[in-house]
Amino acid sequence: MSNIDIDAPGSNQLFIGNEAMARGALEAGVGWASAYPGTPSSEILSSLAEVAKKRDIYVEWSVNEKVAIEAGAAASFAGLRSLVAMKMNGLNVVIDFLSTIILSGIGKKGLVLMVGDDPAAHSSSNETDSRPVSKWLDIPLVEPGDFQEAKDMMPYLYDISEEFGTICILRSVTRVAHARGNIRLGEIPKVVHKARFEQYYDPAAPMPTPIMCIPSSFRHMFQHVRIDKIREKFETSPYNKYVGPEKPDLLIVTAGSGWLYSQDAVNALKAEDRIGILKLGTLWPLPEKLVKSCLSKADKVLFIEETDPFLEGVIMEFAAGFSPESKRNLFYGNHTRHLNSFGELTPDAVIKAITGVLDIKYQPRDAEYMKKVESVPQQYVMDRLLTFCPGCPHRASFWAIKDALAMDGRHGFVTGDIGCYTMALGPAGFFQTRTHQCMGAGAGLANGFGQLRRFGFDQPVVSVVGDSTFYHSIIPALVNGVHNHSDFTLVILDNGATAMTGFQPHPGTGLTAMGEPAQQISMENICRAIGARVEVCDPFDLKNTTRTMLDLIEQKEGARVAIMRRTCELVRQKKEEKPYKMKIDPEKCLGEDCGCNRLCTRVFRCPGLIWDPVAGKTKIDEVICNECGVCADICPEGAITKEAVA
Amino acid sequence: MVTKTKGMGELFKEVINKGLCTLCGACIGDCPYTVFYRGKIRMLDFCNREEGHCYEYCPRTHTDLDEISNKLLGVPFSGAGIGTVKDVFMARSRDSKVRSKAQYGGTVTTLLLLALENGLINAAITTKTSDEKLPESCVAHSAAEVMESAGSSYMAYPVLEAVNRIPKESKDRLGIVVTPCQAVALAKMRLNPPTQRNSLDNLRLSIGLFCTWALDYGRFYEFLKNNVDLAKVNKFDIPPPPANKFDVYMGQEIKSFPLDEVRNYRMATCAYCLDMTAEFTDISVGSVEGVEGWNTVIVRTQRGMDIIADAKKMGRLDIKDLPDQSLTHLKEAALNKRARAVQEIVKKTGDKNELMYIDISDNLKQKLLGQRVTVQGGH
Repeated sequence: MSNIDIDAPGSNQLFIGNEAMARGALEAGVGWASAYPGTPSSEILSSLAEVAKKRDIYVEWSVNEKVAIEAGAAASFAGLRSLVAMKMNGLNVVIDFLSTIILSGIGKKGLVLMVGDDPAAHSSSNETDSRPVSKWLDIPLVEPGDFQEAKDMMPYLYDISEEFGTICILRSVTRVAHARGNIRLGEIPKVVHKARFEQYYDPAAPMPTPIMCIPSSFRHMFQHVRIDKIREKFETSPYNKYVGPEKPDLLIVTAGSGWLYSQDAVNALKAEDRIGILKLGTLWPLPEKLVKSCLSKADKVLFIEETDPFLEGVIMEFAAGFSPESKRNLFYGNHTRHLNSFGELTPDAVIKAITGVLDIKYQPRDAEYMKKVESVPQQYVMDRLLTFCPGCPHRASFWAIKDALAMDGRHGFVTGDIGCYTMALGPAGFFQTRTHQCMGAGAGLANGFGQLRRFGFDQPVVSVVGDSTFYHSIIPALVNGVHNHSDFTLVILDNGATAMTGFQPHPGTGLTAMGEPAQQISMENICRAIGARVEVCDPFDLKNTTRTMLDLIEQKEGARVAIMRRTCELVRQKKEEKPYKMKIDPEKCLGEDCGCNRLCTRVFRCPGLIWDPVAGKTKIDEVICNECGVCADICPEGAITKEAVA
Repeated sequence: MVTKTKGMGELFKEVINKGLCTLCGACIGDCPYTVFYRGKIRMLDFCNREEGHCYEYCPRTHTDLDEISNKLLGVPFSGAGIGTVKDVFMARSRDSKVRSKAQYGGTVTTLLLLALENGLINAAITTKTSDEKLPESCVAHSAAEVMESAGSSYMAYPVLEAVNRIPKESKDRLGIVVTPCQAVALAKMRLNPPTQRNSLDNLRLSIGLFCTWALDYGRFYEFLKNNVDLAKVNKFDIPPPPANKFDVYMGQEIKSFPLDEVRNYRMATCAYCLDMTAEFTDISVGSVEGVEGWNTVIVRTQRGMDIIADAKKMGRLDIKDLPDQSLTHLKEAALNKRARAVQEIVKKTGDKNELMYIDISDNLKQKLLGQRVTVQGGH
């Protein structure tokens, strides 16, 4: 991770997009940052956390996005510039709060919500485009087109937020957030943060209290007035620009990642003299005058954006209102099927769209070349299964869950949730997970399934969640289950980390984002207080875990909880030596014979075990095996042995 | 008839999922893919093999009864109901402690104790009743352990899992007590010994138990739990016909259930079983019609003759001739079970040429199909 608070104004530094945004927040003089981890947004908060003490700012990993934004708003109310970060899934969770803070307005200091979208859902359950929320809820939204803008837009947006008294959104996408580029640094101001909630009773005061959203219609009207003023401001924003000839054959309208792709495409087509690009940095409210003047340059307009046709929609809607004498454009984009409204943009997709509109010949590299390109990494990178790490406790947990459900024999199933254990949809977790939605949904679904006994439903229901997910959104579902007598088993895979997003601490870890000790909030105490039966087991003790699971799923009614507790292997290995020395006795290994038929490498499939087809035996991959010892208990022949390391 | 050995998928498809499993245990014990749990064989994972011992040894997959009989007893499968007989008589233990704990005359326990004592075997695989009054397998190495396994709960239990658990390199000389279906599975194991497991070359004594049907482990246990205080139970008994009852001993108290009520809990698969007297063993033992406290004993092999001779010599058993009428009735009942099973199978398959798992001569098939049968069997 880069040192984001390096004190070298004017110098160039190589930052990933998220670090650039964090740097931008420092240059904006933020005093508060809160977030819930989620790819591709996590590094913003974690890089701020590293410098928080030095810079005298407060940084926290909140229990979920809703708390993060409400806590962040309080900081703004009390006079601190406040940053709240989340991925687009989190945006859905905070919509309710957004719908009122646009009415109440913010405090004296700016409030910026950074939302990281994940087009193509590289590490997400969906690829929702966050931008429409700006139009829907009347929230100003900007989007950086490169790394420099990712940094520079932060201070810019705080100024907007404070000048107009509204929350603002900075949207980025994975390719901006996670790619690395050169940033020219600015100055980090020396701010002495002082917080106080001033309570003016005079309605004419700069920030009258109570801060509230009523009378709602009046305040809604007022927000529209603000939006119109901000539109004026955006007309001259340095983040909007037109490049290209005065009378191009085609006008590309783009934003975000589309900006660089569009330049690449125009360059590859050598069409700089035929194509103009309007790059928008301030997407909402739409700088209408700028847009209209650019539309007048060309007949044909092509929208290049990731993922939904947002600009395409709002600009076509805007153009529909032009007077009859105005110039009429031909619009191209998603609605003409020149571009997809799903997945990621690529320069190729942009080229294809342009050549579909203009009669430009483009000879892409032949298919053979593409094959050659694809074969290069294959020479160096092993073909790997999407699976848990060697030594991951989840593999053992799902083994026990699988065995228990099979032994029970009533066709029980797992409702899944969001975390590394999402991979239990596939071979990593022996295909146990049968539903996969958003955070907390597995427990909610289990509530529903578990309530269907009266309609003849007789299958055991097991909701599997992670520890961080438990604190984030499972507790209300468990309360509901106990209160309404739903019949399901909640399994909490407690590996002591928010592992999938990069080991952020959570309320169960006893550590805060700033590295300070915190009270460990006991999940078993919470569950017991709710009234659920709670069993705690070590997933590496397969026998006992299976027995516990059976006992729980055979319980006649009620919500009950199994906590499968074992530290994430990646966390453990930073602190401890390997616990065992694993060995395989080839004499005892049955290989593909009747007896086990490669149970360890065919079903258990820990990457630490490899099948040697020549010898017809299993081997330990000593490079990656973490010597957890679980496979010794899987092998029916006792061919795999674990020897405790003294 | 399809005689090909298949894999675990077919075992579940053709046998277990169709309710034909007898709970013999031949498919579990050392296989990581199958497990016995609460009265059912469950699949933990799919093993993906096209051929497996689980399918091969199952007593409900293709079974060439002539081949088994020829190899183990030296004669083709007998048309007579009680199979191949070298000697038949009635016996009881001379040890009153054995008689009080064991079923009927305590002959099985006595023979196992003797075989351990004289070194014929050094381990006996039997079924014992657990503290929860559920059957479980037991590998007895001592007289005390054999005594613990005396008595029956009449519930089916996959005792052959214990055979599969015997280490490959074990040199234990084994004795085993099995029901007729288990005897068939055991015979199939002996005919085509597994290469990865103990070959059973050291099986020195097999004792079969007469069986008309076994009780369903899961359902009957529920019935018992609801009707008696299981903690107090020290013995189950089905007295010889014509008593027609199921007795549960709780110290001095005996609670009797009509056998007709208990019959509701028998395993469905027992209707398709041809064998009442465990024909593929050295010695078969059951009750004696109308005589309490004695066993009917059928000796089938030289090994069986030898241990009986020892028992006589050492004065461990009282032995009497079996009354002619009892033998006649036993033969009728056994033949009745055979014929009824074949007729039930044809009813199920709807085809007189399709006998599911059974491979027998055409002559015998015709004979059994023509046999008049009574509907209910006793025990």
